[in-house]
Amino acid sequence: MSKLKGFKWKYYINYAVVFVVGLILTLMSFTVGLEQSTIYLLEKMLIAIILAVSLNLVVGFLGELSLGHAGFMCVGAYLGGKISLILADKLGTGPLSLIISLTVGGLCAAICGVIIGLPALRLKGDYLAIVTLGFGEIVKSIFQNTSKESFGGALGLDTPRYDKYTLFIFGFALVLLTLAVVQNLMRSKHGRAITSIRDNEIAARATGINVTKYKLMAFTVSAFFAGIAGVLYSFSNFKVNSYTFGYNYSIEILVMVVLGGIGSINGSIISAALITFLNTKLATILTGDKAVLQNLFYAVILIIIVIYNNSPALKGFREKYDLKKMFSRVVKHNDPSVIRDDQGKWARIPTKIPMDEILSTDVQPNQSTLKPDKSKEDK
Amino acid sequence: MDFITTLINGLSIGGIYAMIALGYTMVYGIAKMLNFAHGDIIMVGGYTIYVFLNMTGHPAIAIITAIIFCLILGVTIEKVAYKPLRGASPLAVLITAIGVSYLLQSLAQIIFGSAPKMVTIFNFGTKNIGGLRIQISTIVTLIATIIVMIALSLFVKFTKMGRAMIATSEDKDATQLMGINVNGVITVTFAIGSSLAAIAGLFYLMKSPSLTNTLGSMPGIKAFTAAVIGGIGSIPGAMLGGFLLGIVECISYSIPVIAPYTDAIEFLILIVILLVRPTGILGKKRREKV
Amino acid sequence: MSKFSKVLCLTLALAMVCVCFAGCGGAKAGNYTAKNTEFVIGMSGPLTGPAAIYGIGVKNGAQLAVDEINEQGGLNGIKFKLEATDDMHDTKKVSTNYSSLLEKGMQVSLGCVTSAPCAEWTDLSHEDNVFFLTPSASNDDIPKYENGYQMCFADGNQGIVAAEYVNDNFKGQTIGIFYKSDDNYSAGIYNKFKDSLSKDVKTIDTVFTAANETSFDEQINKLKDCKFIFMPIYYTPASIFMTQAKGIIADDAVYYGCDGFDGIDKAEGFDITSIPQEVSMLSHFDSNATEGVAADFIKKYTDAFGTETLNQFAASAYDCVYALYGAMKKADVKDVTISASDLSDILQKEFTGGYAFENGVTGGGEPITWESTGYVNKKAIKFIIKEMDK
Repeated sequence: MSKLKGFKWKYYINYAVVFVVGLILTLMSFTVGLEQSTIYLLEKMLIAIILAVSLNLVVGFLGELSLGHAGFMCVGAYLGGKISLILADKLGTGPLSLIISLTVGGLCAAICGVIIGLPALRLKGDYLAIVTLGFGEIVKSIFQNTSKESFGGALGLDTPRYDKYTLFIFGFALVLLTLAVVQNLMRSKHGRAITSIRDNEIAARATGINVTKYKLMAFTVSAFFAGIAGVLYSFSNFKVNSYTFGYNYSIEILVMVVLGGIGSINGSIISAALITFLNTKLATILTGDKAVLQNLFYAVILIIIVIYNNSPALKGFREKYDLKKMFSRVVKHNDPSVIRDDQGKWARIPTKIPMDEILSTDVQPNQSTLKPDKSKEDK
Repeated sequence: MDFITTLINGLSIGGIYAMIALGYTMVYGIAKMLNFAHGDIIMVGGYTIYVFLNMTGHPAIAIITAIIFCLILGVTIEKVAYKPLRGASPLAVLITAIGVSYLLQSLAQIIFGSAPKMVTIFNFGTKNIGGLRIQISTIVTLIATIIVMIALSLFVKFTKMGRAMIATSEDKDATQLMGINVNGVITVTFAIGSSLAAIAGLFYLMKSPSLTNTLGSMPGIKAFTAAVIGGIGSIPGAMLGGFLLGIVECISYSIPVIAPYTDAIEFLILIVILLVRPTGILGKKRREKV
Repeated sequence: MSKFSKVLCLTLALAMVCVCFAGCGGAKAGNYTAKNTEFVIGMSGPLTGPAAIYGIGVKNGAQLAVDEINEQGGLNGIKFKLEATDDMHDTKKVSTNYSSLLEKGMQVSLGCVTSAPCAEWTDLSHEDNVFFLTPSASNDDIPKYENGYQMCFADGNQGIVAAEYVNDNFKGQTIGIFYKSDDNYSAGIYNKFKDSLSKDVKTIDTVFTAANETSFDEQINKLKDCKFIFMPIYYTPASIFMTQAKGIIADDAVYYGCDGFDGIDKAEGFDITSIPQEVSMLSHFDSNATEGVAADFIKKYTDAFGTETLNQFAASAYDCVYALYGAMKKADVKDVTISASDLSDILQKEFTGGYAFENGVTGGGEPITWESTGYVNKKAIKFIIKEMDK
């Protein structure tokens, strides 16, 4: 009994939900059957979830802004797609070929993650953002100008499509894999090291954390799963075209992470699924000349939600009418890598350990911990 | 001779990047926020010039209206979208800026449609100087960029408002305690940045007469790259970065083998420069305190 | 409270997901056309974003044809209906657009407007055997399966025709090329053009990319001695190039473009008469026609939608709808609920069996036929849009 009590079932709730949803849909597809558009939508949602969760590792937990996530995805999609094309003759497009391509695509993207993680050791904040954006554009430009024989050139690479009725089951499995790796990483001592770099890099270094190693680790894991998402994309489409992996797509993923709550994995899952769903549905409802309204709504909603969620002036209002409050225990506080009291706040104010105030003798630590040290926001 | 022409062409496109980068660097240096919508204010400036040029026929009126309109627009965006987020995380502000950028683009498409609009403004023609054919508009852009750069530097160094801007960029809270209206300073910064964007829009139209609703996004990113290369927050750095990027672009286009990879080369140079000098060429090194 | 809310949240999430998808559940390869009361033509194109002018042009042109056919009583009393979806020139959006159109009862389609998304459409529609006749996706790979046909010239063919012209007229000379390396239209024409060019002709190749459509000074500088410049690009960058090249490229040079040049003389604010050089193009649609069906179309289109989106894409889409209508009329399709696959078989038989589309707006008024490869056979018209200044 005591063992059961110690079982932190809320750690596993998101696996359970994803698993059950996947199971229900799988059963449905084998019995009643799912519409093609539903399956395509599902594949897109799953790809978006993998992307958002993996980006959250860098943006939410490492605290660095990356605008090149689509670039990693592009690497995975092209190289994984190329491998699957080569394998298609010998192994067909079955599960074995899928798994090999996923491994290769993911690893190639991870190597790029190491490469782009290296400047990250010296750069911070907006500087890093522009470097990652540049990386995405470099990848796009290179693939777009390849010859037709190697990577398809400007029209894109022809990739074999996996069986369209069962690919989404693999998608669910990959989402579970992503969740398992990212959540376990964040709940281990490595994860605490990564969050401590976010909160105060110098303090982290001072306590003996190998900042280089952990920054690279976060970038590499994040890039690996972006690559996995890319391979999944190449298997769900007939064409991989680097044109689609521009910075706009990276921003779309970032928006999912931000709207879901920075540093909240469950939030990323929900918002990635919801935004993809809405985007697709709006695109089918608003046709013709009204189509441009979709972008307008999207922009306005984005601005309103970000201001509502982050404005310091609206803090009182937010706390009074918090819709999330009743779900907050499930949705938010299930992650021990984030300090519970700070979790709600840190999306607004980067939590910094006010070291010099703690060290100086005439300031009481208890009082000073409430006020973040703003002078370090510039870095 | 060909190489000199390449350099001049680089300065010509670099002048536009520099002008946009000056606006970027002002806003970034003082408000400490990456104004992603800056490129789209250029687009708004372009469309305003187009509308008023068609309405009145006087380029001068059109340009002045565009500057005033962009100024008002920039201040409005700042008040409505960015001011509520003062003190929030930089990421939230960046996302809002992206939202504003999308908003301006879709509004432009609703109002003006998707067909490119051609605007002919100030066709100065070309001039022969020592065997080189130089477009007058290149010279105008160059001179204007240098004038704006010097004026901004002087403004920041020697006026009360300029000093207040430096103070704000150093430490907002301390500045407030010294009795300076930080919100007012940031508003002025946005006003200056947005009017510079309108001027950049004018130079853009002089160079490339085609107006679309996504006109500003890529030059905006290139200019931000230029500002980072030069050292963001540094006014001469923005200009230097802009010219450097323009020259690199033109040299790359003049070599057939690497010409298709020009974009990749530009961003590669950014990464290399940042690796060697993490704060850009002229950026001040800030010592990180605990 | 906490336990209750957890259970509630979980139940809600599950319920939501089930509700979401329960509504979508249906037979696997369902017969979506069973409830049709009209023939449904599907299309996907960029209705927003930078390429929107082409997508909107196609949509309007096709709508115009559909309305006219319906006014005349449709086919055997059955009317037509156009379903247009927005893909923003993004390959990612095509699969959802395609499947949602299929579920709306699409029986025949115009494919995608632009080539990159259409490449995805090609494979998707091949799986379900849905016939498409694309007005504007001109890449060589688009009609690679038997269910795909083009109304526009394939890129490669345009490159070959242009190369033949150059081989005949510029032997031993140096010509300039200005193309967009990351655009499949431009790169496709360029590659075939270079392949078919004879060794006697030397070239100076210059490129630009999507990220740099502002300043072409460097490219102009390299091309300044050329008397013939081949420009397989769209008219917007071409007009910028011509404006910037004034006074640098010799006044007696020739700018030679493909169908992408269409509309250059009508671009708002761009005065082609201010360009001293000759501007020619190879196209299938004469947008300055003053008589014949093309002139009628131009008048009708302008009355309905204005001149902004009037381009060869719109004309081509108008022809596509009439060509499909003609083929269906010839095959005497009477069943409004005919499945997309059955209709595709019928149309394939017609198109490969020597079906000739008469009185097209494009192709200079001559009958249009199709090869079994899906490429179109029609008259290419070499227009001199603007003659050289004397």
